[in-house]
Amino acid sequence: MGITWPWAAKRTSDILWLDLGDLGDLINPDGPHEQWQDHGLGLLRTILHQNGIQTDILSTRAVTSWDQLAKQLPGYKMMLMNVRSYTYPSAYKAAQIFKEINPDGIILTGGMHATVALDEMQAVPEFDKICQGPGEKVIVDLVRNPDDFPRVIQGVGASSMAEWPMIDRTLWPKPASRRVRRKFNWPLEPECGWGPGPVVTILTSRVCPWQCVFCNENSYIPNMGRRPVDAVIDELNYLDDKHGVGSIVIHDSMFFQNPRWLREWIEKYPRRANKVWPYWAAARSDTVRQWPDLFEALIRETNWKTISIGFESGSDRILRLLNKECTEEDNNFTIDLLNKIADEYEAQGKEPPKFWANIMLGIPGETPEDAFKTMRMLKRMKWVFPSISYYAPYPGSALGFQLIAEGKSLMSKDNYHRFPDDEKVRGVDYQFYRELLAGKYDDIINQGLDAVRHGSDLYQGALVKA
Amino acid sequence: MSSFSNPHYMYLFDLKNGKKKLAYGESPEDALDILSVRLSDAEMAEIMTDSYVKISQRDLQKHVSELG
Repeated sequence: MGITWPWAAKRTSDILWLDLGDLGDLINPDGPHEQWQDHGLGLLRTILHQNGIQTDILSTRAVTSWDQLAKQLPGYKMMLMNVRSYTYPSAYKAAQIFKEINPDGIILTGGMHATVALDEMQAVPEFDKICQGPGEKVIVDLVRNPDDFPRVIQGVGASSMAEWPMIDRTLWPKPASRRVRRKFNWPLEPECGWGPGPVVTILTSRVCPWQCVFCNENSYIPNMGRRPVDAVIDELNYLDDKHGVGSIVIHDSMFFQNPRWLREWIEKYPRRANKVWPYWAAARSDTVRQWPDLFEALIRETNWKTISIGFESGSDRILRLLNKECTEEDNNFTIDLLNKIADEYEAQGKEPPKFWANIMLGIPGETPEDAFKTMRMLKRMKWVFPSISYYAPYPGSALGFQLIAEGKSLMSKDNYHRFPDDEKVRGVDYQFYRELLAGKYDDIINQGLDAVRHGSDLYQGALVKA
Repeated sequence: MSSFSNPHYMYLFDLKNGKKKLAYGESPEDALDILSVRLSDAEMAEIMTDSYVKISQRDLQKHVSELG
């Protein structure tokens, strides 16, 4: 066995799962979201361990240099990685280091980037096996007998989330500094401003069926049955009994779909859960307008406290360009409804529910007036966490693929990283957006408002990774 | 209630250079109108507006190599 990095956990296996992310995110993170754990990793490691295949865990987030990672790699015979577009550069670098140290070792990769950008994965000779699509029904055989599989493998997934085992959260990487450990609540997750810690991130559904062209996840993730309500509540109660739960982040791409499931959630969550923990979850403005009573009942009866809405734009012109299939009218309806509910909460002395408002700027074709309308829309929200990002043409999405084909994307495989300030599309005037976010145009924006509730401080510093 | 009342579809339009342009909207005409929001007149002129196929979002990944 080679030299072991002094802070590494004791080695238990010659199979390594490498968690991917920015160097140092579990040591000195930029923000709470960098510390969130990878559910794909958690699920697949749980399946492996339940089938008698032990794996060790290391994380690029738990080191501050590639040299620190290299010192922990000698002697491993296999390394697995779940690769997303924004972790592709880390996966590439880690694979090169792994093969330098363990030339006979084998590297198994999978994840979203393998599905949407196979050519880029195949171009890395260090990736010995590349699994496209879901891996839960193939990973045990693949790890046991990799030679039985071709280099590119079509993964097999469960038909329903009901078939998934409950994730063993102790298989997630640990925070790697005293400071982060103190606040992390591992194996649960740290508080991020949406509700008290410890935080449980959980999935109740997969795949948003809508067709927004900056995402289109329904084109590369197979449909899958939603997790039964009782199973979700059982897991929350189990985690609460074991670790104590403060709040929940329901990380579904689209929580507010499937009214029958949502009605069962309203019926059972307040009655069966140990506590009606506040939670963060996502909706669309047209679904809110379609099912307003259901939306309101979820807020009032199940403590849906942070409502993530992909508003994206305040301009119909741009909403059409994004194929959002929502309108300014849908967005305004949703804002008015939540403002009204929040007013009632305030009058009763209760903490009001808030929007997590996803906003996109720098969309090719967007004019300054479109952007002003978007900021005006944002300012109409009484209680809001703005989450603003520059549009990013990721492979996998319809508009991303089209812009890449037109030679207009500035993102490359070496720079998939989602730095907020990165310029991502050729021809977009990013200087205008920097000035917009700095408040230069606030007078123009405020002219269209009945009441000015927020200054430009609302969005200064609100630019996040795409 | 847009996606409930006015669902959108995806279309692949032939380009004069043999490639295809991906567009989306309520109809082929609407899809071309949406494309014109971000494309220049010269780029729009490359599109053969009456030569297109309607595709499903689920088949999107099959057509990536044809785009231009």
